[in-house]
Amino acid sequence: MKGRRALGLAYLSPYIIGLLVFTAIPFLASLYLGFTKYDLMNPPRWVGFDNFEKLFTRDRTFWKSLQVTLLYVFLTVPLKLAFALFIAAILNDKLRFINFFRTAFYVPSILGGSIAIAVLWRYIFASEGLANMALAVVGLGPVDWFGDPTNALFTLTLLRCWQFGSAMVIFLAALQSIDKSLYEAARIDGASRTRIFFAITLPLLTPVIFFNLIMQMVQAFQEFNGPYIITQGGPLKSTYLLPLYIYDEAFKKFNMGYASAIAWVLFVIIMALTLVAFWSSKRWVYYAGDKRS
Amino acid sequence: MDIHADIAATVSDEADAARRARARTISAALRYTLLFAVGLVMLYPLIWLVGASFKTNTEIFSGAGFIPRNPTLSGYVAGWQTSTPYTFARFFWNTFLIILPKVIGTAISCTMAAYAFARFDFPLKRTLFATVIAVLLLPNVVTRIPQYMLFRDLGWLDSFLPLWVPSALAGDAFFVFMLVQFLRSLPGDMEEAARVDGANSLQTLVYIVVPMLAPALISVCLFQFMWTMNDFLGPLIYLSSVDKYPVSLALKLSIDTTEAFEWNRILAMSVLTILPALAIFFAAQRYFIEGISAGGVKG
Amino acid sequence: MARVQLRNLEKVYGGAVKAVHGIDLDIADGEFMVFVGPSGCAKSTTLRMVAGLEEVTGGEILIGGRRVNDLPPGKRSIAMVFQNYALYPHMKVRGNLAFGLKIAGKRKPEIEAAIAEVARILEIEPLLDRLPKQLSGGQAQRVALGRALIKKPGVFLFDEPLSNLDAKLRASMRVRITDLHRRLRAEGLSSTVIYVTHDQTEAMTMGDRICVMQAGRIMQVATPKELYTSPANLFVAGFIGTPEMNLLDGRLDGGDFVIGGQRLALDPEVLARLGARRPAAAVLGIRPQHLTLGTAGLEARITHAEFMGHEVNLHADLEGRKLVAVVGAADYDALAEGDRVRLRPAAEHVHVFDAAEGHNVSLRPDRLAA
Repeated sequence: MKGRRALGLAYLSPYIIGLLVFTAIPFLASLYLGFTKYDLMNPPRWVGFDNFEKLFTRDRTFWKSLQVTLLYVFLTVPLKLAFALFIAAILNDKLRFINFFRTAFYVPSILGGSIAIAVLWRYIFASEGLANMALAVVGLGPVDWFGDPTNALFTLTLLRCWQFGSAMVIFLAALQSIDKSLYEAARIDGASRTRIFFAITLPLLTPVIFFNLIMQMVQAFQEFNGPYIITQGGPLKSTYLLPLYIYDEAFKKFNMGYASAIAWVLFVIIMALTLVAFWSSKRWVYYAGDKRS
Repeated sequence: MDIHADIAATVSDEADAARRARARTISAALRYTLLFAVGLVMLYPLIWLVGASFKTNTEIFSGAGFIPRNPTLSGYVAGWQTSTPYTFARFFWNTFLIILPKVIGTAISCTMAAYAFARFDFPLKRTLFATVIAVLLLPNVVTRIPQYMLFRDLGWLDSFLPLWVPSALAGDAFFVFMLVQFLRSLPGDMEEAARVDGANSLQTLVYIVVPMLAPALISVCLFQFMWTMNDFLGPLIYLSSVDKYPVSLALKLSIDTTEAFEWNRILAMSVLTILPALAIFFAAQRYFIEGISAGGVKG
Repeated sequence: MARVQLRNLEKVYGGAVKAVHGIDLDIADGEFMVFVGPSGCAKSTTLRMVAGLEEVTGGEILIGGRRVNDLPPGKRSIAMVFQNYALYPHMKVRGNLAFGLKIAGKRKPEIEAAIAEVARILEIEPLLDRLPKQLSGGQAQRVALGRALIKKPGVFLFDEPLSNLDAKLRASMRVRITDLHRRLRAEGLSSTVIYVTHDQTEAMTMGDRICVMQAGRIMQVATPKELYTSPANLFVAGFIGTPEMNLLDGRLDGGDFVIGGQRLALDPEVLARLGARRPAAAVLGIRPQHLTLGTAGLEARITHAEFMGHEVNLHADLEGRKLVAVVGAADYDALAEGDRVRLRPAAEHVHVFDAAEGHNVSLRPDRLAA
């Protein structure tokens, strides 16, 4: 029944076509473009390493953008995951209304990526907006969110953390799939609740933490809607994340070659961090199926 | 044998138990309070948004309450008209024209791909599945520019095609992955019975596999619907005529063009744009939560 | 005509692991053939090759005289009943029964009539509008049976259909299946059956002939009676029959069988059957039911006894080897654990096996089965 093999490929053919045309070839093409100067009017002109040279030695915007992006990712991702895990752990304890809370926390993450919410954020953190009104209630002074470079990035962090629901749901599912008898055995051994959490629960969660970490990190590096709508990259480029820079170079200034170079640098950074995470995971991720204990 | 000691011991045991019970109640109370507080902070922006959309412009920044003093529909009426030749009805229609082929195309192509991976053996199968994982982790910033050039060469600029055709060719690896995992967890007996009953692979797929795949497929469609509604960068890059704008671009347009103080229009339209997503979510909550946990935990 | 022929059938996995080693088998039209053997003997694999669910690596399968190697399952005139019922979960019973006919393009009135008839035969009329998850195990298996019947196939294939049922249900389903088979045969309809099971009771009570398999090879194909009275080798001898046949290793010496320190004089009838075949190392086979307590024969020490009601399973030790004898309860009355007894084997039921090759060297030539 060799026919089965041909059939399998036939069913996979849409995927294969899509993969080649929309992913594989563009991927290679963008690497090529990084070494060219291309403005869409004239054919691409090969310039060797010029783009990269300019990028690393003469482009201050790039360094600022890179710095801001790294700050954003390393601030937001751990914060978001920690909060998601914290809430999931609290919810896990056979609480009533668990469905209500789960829904309440999850709804923001469905809407969070939308323009509507970005717009809302602009009004919440405006100088007479909701955030400052709330601070006034507890007696704290109004904060200049969008005028002060340090604060602007923080509003974006808050936006992303507000959407912790999706990560929380994954953590919750994982927590609920842990065998209850492990907890019982530990309690018989006299372990305290915090001890149980750190010695038993957390290690068993490491695969899910790892998965969430990678997914959130890759997404955070590509954040676009928030900075574009809410802060337009300002003030003083303090929220000028790399995807914004790439967009401006490619679609505002039509420096396709240069933009591709930046995109590839971003890509390499993401891949490098992902690989570091994978490599380090051997040390701290515990898979229950492992023979090594 | 000291009765006094025994009684003292029993009493102190009971006191201990009572103390522990009290501690548990306090801890539970603390937890509920915390969750409630967090929930309130999380949801208040949304509640405020809805309330504010019914306020007059002057009222919006006058207080943090969400109940309008003189509720008005003026925000909705004016916002709907927009400052373009088109009403928001047009923009919603455009969004629909993008979502429909995208969701249907995704469902069909990803089901076919999952069927291939889960039920057939063919050369390079493992390599091809590795590409699914690779694409899943791939930051698509790196393919965006050449994709633009490709669509330009195809003459698809300023049309909806670039927004749904890649997905209709199983371009969203997340969905392929999710369906493969789900299908792998289903026993193959029924499909063998179908083969014995004389069904070919397509008949088996349509009459037997797809019905069994239904819960996961619904999750896929719901997620794709959500993501497409929120998609901004895609339309931003590919659509230049205002009459083709989906609601995400239209909303951005209204921020740019609306008079500086007409906030209630913008807020009203914002509410409208998130309404479909909210409605669908509440109608099909189950599939969302199950879908994301299945894809996440197994991954 | 629905005879099934397997010619040198082979199955190799991944180019290296040979699961089925060149099987040759002829199944007559209307025969109820049982494949039995321990797990891993490849009986299911062979069945699935006949069904077309597994690719054939070598050899041929013929159904009704036609080579079917390259035909898909739907075109082989077969129907299959699965261990896990494999009913379509989203269709009602009616839909499950109709599916195969719908694929074949039959018209609605014909399908309705067929459903009605099958439902009547299997007594599943009240279940027609239920979903599979609303059925009990026995009901589900009857529906699975119905789905096979309705297609009027040339060959019925059963893959351990009763393993998921409790003991009582198993007994009643066994009878139902064999009754059905007899009926089909009586009405002149196609009724060839290949039935796979690991349960030798099922095999012995249901099969016209039984094919005993081990590690991908046929050990013996014969009627239940022949398997019981004339096992062709050590494996079949030990596999068929409860309690298991006693297999005592020793050697032949002249007209005697020597086990450890004991000598058993072999009856002339046995010696006649042996003829000139005298393997160096031999195994004596005698069923527990064929040993009688007496004053002559093998000497053994009782280790323990299992009270079975009318009989007693006597477990004894003979020169370090285990021996089981089935004796009448009355005969056991006077005995106790630790006692030494003498057990005489019935001559016509004594078997001698070649210890090295495993063959039964004491079969009469006319009893040698394939």
